[in-house]
Amino acid sequence: MFDPYNNAYIVVLRDEEHSDMLPIWVGKSEAGSISMAMENVTPPRPMTHDFMKSFLDAYNAKVISVVITDLSEHTYFAKIHLMYEDSEYTVDARPSDAIALALRSNAPVFANDTVITKQSSEELEQWLENLKPEDFGKLDS
Amino acid sequence: MSTVNPPKEQGLVEYRVDRILEEANTDTRIVVLARQDDALDTFPIWVGAAEGNAIKLALDAMITPRPMSHDLIKSFAEHLNVTIQRVVIADVKSSTYYATVYVANKGVERTIDARPSDAISLALRAHCPIYITQDVLTRRSTTNLDAWLSKLESKNIGTPEVQET
Repeated sequence: MFDPYNNAYIVVLRDEEHSDMLPIWVGKSEAGSISMAMENVTPPRPMTHDFMKSFLDAYNAKVISVVITDLSEHTYFAKIHLMYEDSEYTVDARPSDAIALALRSNAPVFANDTVITKQSSEELEQWLENLKPEDFGKLDS
Repeated sequence: MSTVNPPKEQGLVEYRVDRILEEANTDTRIVVLARQDDALDTFPIWVGAAEGNAIKLALDAMITPRPMSHDLIKSFAEHLNVTIQRVVIADVKSSTYYATVYVANKGVERTIDARPSDAISLALRAHCPIYITQDVLTRRSTTNLDAWLSKLESKNIGTPEVQET
């Protein structure tokens, strides 16, 4: 979803029961990468996260899960949990990279409780109400 | 056939990133590669704005508050004890360059297909060499010439029409 006010994109995460929403502001190319994975689009050449996935595949390293750990003002934090040769590794990442990689790895995306309470979904709902129909679908243009 | 060919045997020429140019009207960037041995040759590669910026950040050795995508790949490599050996711009098909990233762990070398922008972005962060195959160097000149000629031809055809109207 495009945010015309901040000239950025919003990735909206929903919990399994569809009760909570977690908006994450990301850049244009990051949003493009996430939406390509959601729509199962295979680009003619590997995009950065496809390359990232090939890199892990080359070593049989599996993404077990990703966790959004903190969304403070301008710094977003996530952790990628990897399994490689029977050991688990935790790698620091931006939520946009973590989500783009999770979607390509069919790995679950989790968010810490503290993040969800911090980022009240009310805020987003209010913001959504102010959106005009033409604000949607700008990602492809 | 040996699996690990020393770069020289494959007819590879080493290049470095010289500068990034901005093409404002098309929102693309031109990554200008220059020969490492300072022989006079530059090799331009057109990339997207985001890809160009990722290369620029690494070229300027900028430290971002959060890891960018290629920093994350480098971080994966460090966790898995994988070294990024070199990147090679190995092919060109219909004006699109193809790159290969050579990675190694426990003495075994593997190759990963990549776009040149991802390969270069990673090479700068991993401090590994960037090569272009002799084959690509030979063929790019004709590709460039063809593109240039077709541009020129379309312009020549177009001009009289503009003048007539």
